[in-house]
Amino acid sequence: MHPLERLVNLVALLLEAKAPLTFEQIREKLAEGYEHQDPSSAKRMFERDKDVLRDIGVPIEVVSTDAWDVEQGYTIDKDRYYLPEIAFTPEEISALFVAARSGGDASAEDAVRKLLSGTESGILAGLGGSGLGGDVETNLSQAAEAVAGQRRVRFGYRTSKGASSERSVDAFGLAIRGGHWYLVGHDQDRGQIRSFRLSRIAGEIVSTGEGSAPPEGFRAAAHVQAGPWGPGEPRTSATVAFGPDVAWWAANGVAGAQIGSTRPDGWVEVRVPWQPGESLAAWVLSFGPDAEAIEPSELRAEVLARLEALGAR
Amino acid sequence: MPAEDRHAPAKASERLRRLLVVVPYLVQHPGTSVDRAAGLFGLSDQDLLADLDLLFVSGLPPYGPGDLIDVDVQDGRIWISMADYFARPLRLSRSEALSLYVRGTALASVPGLEEASALASALDKLAEGLGPDALGELPERVDAAGGGPAVEVLGELRRAAAEHERVRVAYYAASGAETTEREIDPEEVFFAIGNWYVAAWDHRSGAERLFRADRIRSLEPAGASFEPRGLEGAGRPLYSPGRDDAAVTLRLAPGARWVAEYYETTRQLELDDGRLEVDLPAGRLEWVERLLLRLGMDAEVVTPEGLKDRVRGLADVTRKRYG
Repeated sequence: MHPLERLVNLVALLLEAKAPLTFEQIREKLAEGYEHQDPSSAKRMFERDKDVLRDIGVPIEVVSTDAWDVEQGYTIDKDRYYLPEIAFTPEEISALFVAARSGGDASAEDAVRKLLSGTESGILAGLGGSGLGGDVETNLSQAAEAVAGQRRVRFGYRTSKGASSERSVDAFGLAIRGGHWYLVGHDQDRGQIRSFRLSRIAGEIVSTGEGSAPPEGFRAAAHVQAGPWGPGEPRTSATVAFGPDVAWWAANGVAGAQIGSTRPDGWVEVRVPWQPGESLAAWVLSFGPDAEAIEPSELRAEVLARLEALGAR
Repeated sequence: MPAEDRHAPAKASERLRRLLVVVPYLVQHPGTSVDRAAGLFGLSDQDLLADLDLLFVSGLPPYGPGDLIDVDVQDGRIWISMADYFARPLRLSRSEALSLYVRGTALASVPGLEEASALASALDKLAEGLGPDALGELPERVDAAGGGPAVEVLGELRRAAAEHERVRVAYYAASGAETTEREIDPEEVFFAIGNWYVAAWDHRSGAERLFRADRIRSLEPAGASFEPRGLEGAGRPLYSPGRDDAAVTLRLAPGARWVAEYYETTRQLELDDGRLEVDLPAGRLEWVERLLLRLGMDAEVVTPEGLKDRVRGLADVTRKRYG
């Protein structure tokens, strides 16, 4: 008998059984399934099958079949086996499909497929392709698990400047910004709420115990850096002029940017959020000769100083 | 034990896992076509039919004709009966539920998404339907911090892809740091790593290209339809190396290390002085020059020869703007 056939029969048998079945009963009922084996290797085969079922999420349980705990029986708890009915509209299930595919994440796609059976047919036509491979944050599920269970976790972390250290963190929340996921939590050694970009976490996120609850009104997103100019919301703004070809693109890439007047030479002035002491100069320079810092004068001076340093190199 | 049995369980478990998902759908949607079922569940037609072949010799004891699952495949359509116990799928595992919820939250935050309200209600139903055990504290504690740039042409672009309509776009190509006009046949529009992309046939270069949708400045119908070419689409890597790629090697000080995370690199080497040496594949050098202008003294060019001079030249031209 093919192993798949044996496994399907085993699940069907246990789902339909009125009472827990002992291994002997299972062996007898499954007929060819385990019968060509001597009893001990048949039992090992059954144990392996049981592990397979548990691995894929079948809630197979071991219970006593008599009052004296002499015999053990096996059963599948139907309430834990069957997916509750959730009535999604075709639009909702399509949206979930798009979401699952956006991450190139197989387990999210598997999840939507399980949800499909309860929906109407005739949906999802034209949904093709899958997410981009290669950039799946493999530790996202570990981080989500830590947040869902309010755990304290330990992991190795490398900062953007390249310094590595071991962190112990109470997982408070998850936030995504610019396509990157961050775990936000209370850093035990630093005594502060910090955010950790998942792609900079080296290796596993290990749960070390129960964590603390986040403070009242906690929002994960508020603890993730805002933009190229640093953390928090900028209070003032700077003016940068862009060449006609790139102005729209430059303004589109910065939250809160406002397109201002167009100069006689076709250049467009854009106001961008900025705070003194924060480096907008690097961003201005990334547009090369298609951008010019107008004000404040300290920004203009920093751009110039950087250019002169490069020219003198 | 036969030799094949020692290797079979891993494969059998994978097949069982998908059967317990596919069969409930087929039980509830009688007459579904093989094509459609295979497409929905990400299987080849052959794999699906092979699984169904085994299903139809399975069932309940004593495994007589009236006890077996009835699988009927006719004219490419599937009917399954005598399998009431498989009429509903297995619950979502915790990691499946968590993955779907975080992916949904991420997508729901993207500006300009037509499905935004459907997605939001789907996530609410999911959290409620699965119960508090499935998602734990997560629904209250996952956030999207700004969805990135809005894509003004997203709706039109997706419609054009669905209707196979050729479009004319003005596109800002970061590699050459310029906005250019071109006609494209958009085959697939998808969201990944924080951005919308369109996989399209590019008539300007005569090749398949991946375009970032937020860099499309304007879009209008080109007045023609196209036959999809079956492009690699979303499955392809973001950057595909070409024959004319220049080998760019840079040394990055701590302040410039983000480059190694942001761009595709083919080699990374930690140097003793705390810097990181990386190889960046680059088809054109314009974007690398501008990157180096941005990085300033935090980056040093190792190769190619002449790049340093080009950056110095770019710095001089830029400096002239400041009088």
